[in-house]
Amino acid sequence: MTDLLLSLGSLALIASAVRLTVPILLTALGAVFSERGGVVNIGLEGIMIMGTFFGAAITHVVAQTVLPAGAGGPAAVLAPAAGMLAAMVAGVAFSLIHAVVAVTFRVDQIISGVALNLLAVGLARFLNILFFGVATQSPGIRGFAPFDIPGLKEIPALAPIATGISPIVPVALIAVIAGQWILVHTVFGLRLRAVGEHPGAADALGIDVARMRYAGVLIGGALGGLAGGYLSIEQGRGYLEGMTQGRGFIALAAMIFGNWWPVGALGASALFGYFDALSLRVVQSSIPYQFITVLPHIVSILVLAGFMRRATPPAADGIPYTKEEA
Amino acid sequence: MRLALLQAMTPPLAILFGFVAAAGIILAIGKDPLDVYGMMLRFSLTRVDSIAAILFKATPLIFAGLGVALSFRVNLWNIGVEGQYYVGAFAAAWVGFAIRGLPAAIHLPLAIVAALAAGMLWALVPIVLRLKRGAHEVITTIMMNYIAGALVLYLLADVFRDPAQAGSPRVRTPELLPSARVPLLRPLLEPLGIPIPEHSALNWFLVLGIALCVLASFLLARSRFGYEVRAVAANPAAAEAAGIGLGRVQFLVFLISGAIAGLVGLSDVLGFFGYFDIDFPKGLGFLGISVALLARNNPLGIIPAALLFGFLDRGAQGVQVFAGVPREVITILQAIVILAIVVAYELLTRYVRTQRKREAQRVAAAAPAAMGEAVP
Amino acid sequence: MPSLTPLTMSPAIELIDITKRFPGVLANDRISLQIERGEIHALVGENGAGKSTLMKILYGLHQPDAGTIRMAGNPVSLVSPRRAIALGIGMVHQHFKLIPRFTVAENVVLGSEPSRAGRLDMNAARVRLRALCAQYGFVLDPDAEVGTLSVGEQQRVEIVKVLYRGAEVLILDEPTAVLTPQEVDDLFGNLRRLRAEGKTIIFISHILEEVLAIADRITVLRRGRVVGTLPAAGVTKAQIAELMVGRPVLLDLPVPPVSPGAVRLEVQGAVVAGARGRPAVRGVSFAVRSGEIYGIAGVEGNGQTELVEALVGLRPLIAGRLTIMGQDVTHGGPRAIRLLGVGHIPEDRHVRGLVLPMEVRENLILGHHGRPTFCSGLLLNQEGIDAFSDDRIERFDIRTPSVQTPALALSGGNQQKVIVAREFAFAPSVLIAAQPTRGLDIGATEFVRRQVLEARSAGLAVVLVSAMLDEILSLADRIGVIHAGDIVAEFPRGGATPREIGLYMTGGSSSGRARVEGQPA
Repeated sequence: MTDLLLSLGSLALIASAVRLTVPILLTALGAVFSERGGVVNIGLEGIMIMGTFFGAAITHVVAQTVLPAGAGGPAAVLAPAAGMLAAMVAGVAFSLIHAVVAVTFRVDQIISGVALNLLAVGLARFLNILFFGVATQSPGIRGFAPFDIPGLKEIPALAPIATGISPIVPVALIAVIAGQWILVHTVFGLRLRAVGEHPGAADALGIDVARMRYAGVLIGGALGGLAGGYLSIEQGRGYLEGMTQGRGFIALAAMIFGNWWPVGALGASALFGYFDALSLRVVQSSIPYQFITVLPHIVSILVLAGFMRRATPPAADGIPYTKEEA
Repeated sequence: MRLALLQAMTPPLAILFGFVAAAGIILAIGKDPLDVYGMMLRFSLTRVDSIAAILFKATPLIFAGLGVALSFRVNLWNIGVEGQYYVGAFAAAWVGFAIRGLPAAIHLPLAIVAALAAGMLWALVPIVLRLKRGAHEVITTIMMNYIAGALVLYLLADVFRDPAQAGSPRVRTPELLPSARVPLLRPLLEPLGIPIPEHSALNWFLVLGIALCVLASFLLARSRFGYEVRAVAANPAAAEAAGIGLGRVQFLVFLISGAIAGLVGLSDVLGFFGYFDIDFPKGLGFLGISVALLARNNPLGIIPAALLFGFLDRGAQGVQVFAGVPREVITILQAIVILAIVVAYELLTRYVRTQRKREAQRVAAAAPAAMGEAVP
Repeated sequence: MPSLTPLTMSPAIELIDITKRFPGVLANDRISLQIERGEIHALVGENGAGKSTLMKILYGLHQPDAGTIRMAGNPVSLVSPRRAIALGIGMVHQHFKLIPRFTVAENVVLGSEPSRAGRLDMNAARVRLRALCAQYGFVLDPDAEVGTLSVGEQQRVEIVKVLYRGAEVLILDEPTAVLTPQEVDDLFGNLRRLRAEGKTIIFISHILEEVLAIADRITVLRRGRVVGTLPAAGVTKAQIAELMVGRPVLLDLPVPPVSPGAVRLEVQGAVVAGARGRPAVRGVSFAVRSGEIYGIAGVEGNGQTELVEALVGLRPLIAGRLTIMGQDVTHGGPRAIRLLGVGHIPEDRHVRGLVLPMEVRENLILGHHGRPTFCSGLLLNQEGIDAFSDDRIERFDIRTPSVQTPALALSGGNQQKVIVAREFAFAPSVLIAAQPTRGLDIGATEFVRRQVLEARSAGLAVVLVSAMLDEILSLADRIGVIHAGDIVAEFPRGGATPREIGLYMTGGSSSGRARVEGQPA
């Protein structure tokens, strides 16, 4: 029993948790921006799927074309970088559909998100067939070379968390801090929040509500796409159908638990990341492994059940905005 | 009435839009869309085995669409149909192979009841959490889907795995007893001169599904509970002020939605397979959402919508085999149709609303002064 | 009289032949109007007369279909609020457009934020805000969360918002509807100070006493047209009302004598929770007898909403007792209370009163749909419902194209009639009417007040909650003044002057400022 407890706090586990937090965190951050503007985006799962596919596919394609010319060095960074970029672009393009349908046409945002998820699944299979001939997975790829934290890595006890870190991890942390700062201290952040709280007030002061909402949704798309790219390039080393495993939805739970602030989403995502890591590590246990794999999902339900009462979403979240007619 | 005409034209227009968009994709992979569509239509509509296949594929979609539509109607998002039908189908299978010595008249209904109960149970947690704790049911139902998958996998692989299959890659339950199987429609239709292919598994669940849709439509419009459901759907605050129990109505509708969802897989497991295995069809729940959206949550509209999706599914098979076009193109077409439809419906609703307002204002303005008003 | 002579000969704002159409209605019909610089100009008219539309055109929210607008003699094109703001026009909306979670400073600067390379400079905002407040004598804390402010303070924020953007012309849309008499005095003091600084003020209202108290000139609109522009001095309420409606208007309905019977509704020591868990109603007690109207006077936000919800069972009582028709319904619930014969006209008809997408006939049976007339077994009895609906529509003169028209298509007055027709239908014993004439024009208002008096004559116990003091004064047999969740005073009909009641409405104390005399200079 003490063994089990000790292993729950082991550094290797923490390191794994950090890695698994990243995709949830990035998507949750994207969700924060979208919902702060007042647009609910259930389609983030689909955006992540697009990110996983395009990330892997473009990385593979670039690696095939560039590497033979000059192996190693800058070329080895080019392929995954191109993949990450492609993943972000795919996320933006996909979320653009949601923006058009939900903001311009003012369709119910939940429905739009659900439709988007359906589209993503079919599109991913189709594109995979197009690119690689099979429906459900891509060839293996190599991601960024992981780096080590200088100094800390020398300490054997800290080795697990100081070595083998993907460059995207610090990117994610910086994104959270930047996101928080932008929301609180910039003109853009103030206006985005205004549009999510009371679009009528913002409109009367000359702020373009639709434009701000588009911005929030597209930022969400970029971050969700990046999250997907990280999943396939840095973690999965390739695209596999279903690899997102519902993380797009878990990210929404993290956003809620974080009370719609980037810093809060960080804490919440870390919690889910921890359980995700736990589910991968607890191999010998009397609990059947199938249930361990859905540990993050169970935790999500518990979190939502416990927290919703104290949640304070943006006041106009999820409500399409119609300009006053009369 | 122009309005009625517009409302009737909307679905076909959206579907047309979907086909046009998918045509673009077909072109992009180097095939001729007209060829492909022509082939699809011929394959789906001119072969007898296709008609039967379409009806068979549509059967689960009718249940799925109805379940989703009922919950959407009261502004509750039951995205958990996927998990609910999975546990429902498994529960029915379990009754089918684990309970012996019952006559068919009891065994089959018992299996159905098991499916209803399992689906209802799987819907219970999200709705209770939503009503008592305000937990957003979109996320909780989706989480329950994953948990359902894990649970059923565990039961299949570790508890109820058919010992006769040990050593093979097949993971499935033992065979269901014949007394739990649902009768096929062929014995009824063939004497009537309607040809049904030998291998078709078209069964009575089709009839049950259609009957449920008709019943739901009738009850919604004409029953007291249906009135309360509609009031709660459109304005919960006013319904509450009128003494209608909000929580009660939402709870009941959501559970009914889950129960119907439990029936989705029964046509397959009790009519076709005769066992539940690891490759049991997935994704029927999400297709049900598409069907419900296409039908605008109208129970009667579910029937043609499910048939359309059955047609598309069959057509997807055909284009893959005969035209070399990946069947995913049809999946994409389905998603585009959904998007087009919801946009079109939104625009239509707004237009109808404006027209109605204009009409009422004309009537009010014709009144003597100081009664009613001309807003703004 | 303006205290500055106009600096230019041309008016500050001139509207020439402004015309605006909406689907089915001509909102503004060749309106021509001149507003002089440095005056307070009132725009009056019934609901639907077109005043709001006209002002929205002036603020750039709508574009006129025809006509010109000139400012200081030059034609201008007000294509958007931004443009109007840039030209010095500022609008203080009737329904405040404030973001409750933001601070005063954030609300004021939104859209025109002081910034450095995209980074907000809230310190500069605070400095500028304080300067403005000092200049015009407003008292506001830049860092207070707007959601915690009183209504009067929130209105001040709205005014400062427009001053911050350099407004020279201020448009105030029904500013006094939600203020106590004391806050109205404060507002008028501020307006006079603004006028002294050379600002031009357009004041939209339908409260005639106030219009006469503050305005220099008055323009009356009726059915989209200007029917007269007069100096405020020497004009009477009756004259203005007649211009507004086009016929002599009965401003006070005759009240027949009725002797009250047994107590039908009694509330003792009621405590009801409000927002953020704090009690909105703190120990209210009163009793209402059959044939009596108990009027609850008070400014909105003092617990009336919560009290009414408690009386109809929509909000639980934390403490105290509620007895209706002799039954203890403290822990009742809307259904139980309804079954005792309580009719409820909700203060927000769109939220609590009607299911807008449903048909008129379906709305007419809402809450009573379980009665045997409307139900046979599990199913609805369509003939019974239709017969009932036809009867109600005729009796109450509800204007609707058909019984199947969705309620959302009806005008506000007709929607309210549907509610009234429904609530009166089953010989109720008690009527609880909350702000029943809110948003209605004079004709519909007259109708609803008549119905309330009818109810009284028919022996109902009536609880009437209204923010309109004159409504309470003319209808109520007894008046309870509510302030901060407590009934602070009770008077019989005629037992107190409006000023006295107003004093109790604000807690019995003046705000500390010198009272400004009501007559214009």
